[in-house]
Amino acid sequence: MSFIAIVYCFLLLIAWTIGIARYSRLSAAFKILSWSFPVVFLCNIISPFWVDRFGNNAPILHVESLTDYVFFSATFYYLLKSKTTKKIVLISMVIVALFVVINAIYWQGFYKKFPTNVYFLTQPLLAIFSLLLFKEMLMYPLKINPVKQSAFWYNTAILFYATTMFFYLGLSNYFPEHNLHDHFFYYFWYLIFYVFDILLAVAILTDNQKTTLENA
Amino acid sequence: MPDESIRTLILATAILFAGISGFIIYFVVLYRNRQLKNKQEQAALQAAFQQELLRTQIEMQDQTLNYISGEIHDNITQVLSFVKLSLAMPKNAGESEKQLKIKESRELISQVITDLRDLSKSLSYDHITSLGLSKTIEIEVERINKSRLIDMSFILDGTPHSLGSQPELVLFRIFQEAVNNVLKHSGAKHFVARLQYQPDLFNLTLEDDGAGFSTDLQGDKNGSGLKNIINRAALIGGAATISSSPGKGCSIVVTFNPFKQQFYSDGPAHQNRFS
Repeated sequence: MSFIAIVYCFLLLIAWTIGIARYSRLSAAFKILSWSFPVVFLCNIISPFWVDRFGNNAPILHVESLTDYVFFSATFYYLLKSKTTKKIVLISMVIVALFVVINAIYWQGFYKKFPTNVYFLTQPLLAIFSLLLFKEMLMYPLKINPVKQSAFWYNTAILFYATTMFFYLGLSNYFPEHNLHDHFFYYFWYLIFYVFDILLAVAILTDNQKTTLENA
Repeated sequence: MPDESIRTLILATAILFAGISGFIIYFVVLYRNRQLKNKQEQAALQAAFQQELLRTQIEMQDQTLNYISGEIHDNITQVLSFVKLSLAMPKNAGESEKQLKIKESRELISQVITDLRDLSKSLSYDHITSLGLSKTIEIEVERINKSRLIDMSFILDGTPHSLGSQPELVLFRIFQEAVNNVLKHSGAKHFVARLQYQPDLFNLTLEDDGAGFSTDLQGDKNGSGLKNIINRAALIGGAATISSSPGKGCSIVVTFNPFKQQFYSDGPAHQNRFS
C-alpha cells in the first residue's frame, strides 16, 4: 500500500471517528453518511490484497460504486424537502442498483473492468441532486451562516466529487491513447478523494440536528 | 506535444476548480442576500403585527369607553337620579314610608355598586390576560344577556388553557367584532359562542340566526368587519371561515393551532415548541 493510500485511509478513519463521536447529535441524513466511511475504508484496505491475489480490484470497485451511490443518495433523500425529488432519489437508487448488476454481467465484467459506466450514470445524478439541494437551500434559507451548515458542506463535497470525477473519467481514455504520465492520474485521483472526504468530514463536524431545527 | 497536452490538461483542471469555487462563492453571496431579505421581511411583518395589535387595543379601548359612557348615561345616572328623587321625601312623610324609601334606595345603590364593579372589569384589556379568553368571553356573554338585546349562549368544550396573551387579545377582538356585526346588522334573536379547547387546536365558533347574507356580496356593510375577522385570524397564524346565506344566519369559525403560531406571536405554547 502506497504512502498516499495510507494517508487516505487515515483520513477516512478520522472522518469515521468524528461521525461516531457526534453520532447522537447528527441528523438522520448525516448518521447515514457517517457509515459510508467504514465501508470505503474497508474497500481500500481489502483492495491491495485483492490486487495481489487476483491481479485487479475490479470487483471491489463494482461494489463500491453502488454503496457510494446508495449512501450519498440516501443522504440527499433526507436533506431534500421536495417530495417529488425525494421520489426521484429513491427510484434512481433502484435503477442504479439494477444498472450495476447488468453492467457487471454484460458490459464491464465484474472481475475484469473498472465500472466507468456506473460512474458515468451516477456522477451526473449526484451533481443534479446537489444543484437541486442548493436551489432548495436558497428557497428556504436558515438563519445561520451557510458555512456553518452541514448541508452546504455536503453539497459542496458532492458537487466537487461529481464534477471532478466526471472530468477524471473523461480523461481516462485520453491519457492511455497518448501515452501520457500515469502518475498524474494516480495523484489526481487521490487529490479528488482527499478534498472530498475532508469536505464530508467538515459536513459531519458542523451538523447539529437541534441547531438546524431552531434556525428553520 | 505531450507537454502541450499536459499544459492544456492543467489549464482545464484549473478552469474546472475555479468554476466550482466561483459557483460556491456565488452561492454563499446569494444565500447571505436571501437571508438579509428574509430578515427584513420578518422585521416588516413584525412591525405590521405590532401596529395591528396596537390598533386592536385602541379599538377595544374605544369600544370599552363607549360601553362605559352608555352604561353611565343609561343606567348608573338614571338609578342615582332615582335614588336622589327617592331620598328627597316630603317633610311630612311618615316613619314607615321613610324607611321604605331608604330601603329601596339602599337596594338601588347596591345595584349601582354591582354595575360599577362589572364596569371596572371592562376598563382594561389586561383582564383578558388575567382571566383568560374563555372567562372573559363568558363575562361578556353574561353582560350582553343582561342588556336583553339578544339571547346569547356560551358553550365551553375541553379544558381552557392559555393561547398566549396576544392571540387571546386578537381572538377576543374577533368575538367583539362578530357580536357588533350581529347586533348592528343581523337582527338575530340567538347567538352562540362556542370555545373548543384541544391539546393542539383551538376553535372559536360564533353562530347567529339572523338575516344572513350572501358571502359573495360582502363588499358593503358587513364586508369590512368580516374582512377584519379574516385578517386578524391570519395575523395570529389562524384561519377564519365565514359561512352564511340570506335568511340562514351566519357562522364564523376561527381555527387556531398554538403550535403553528407566527414567529412573532407570544404565548407559552410557542415558547415550549423548542424547549
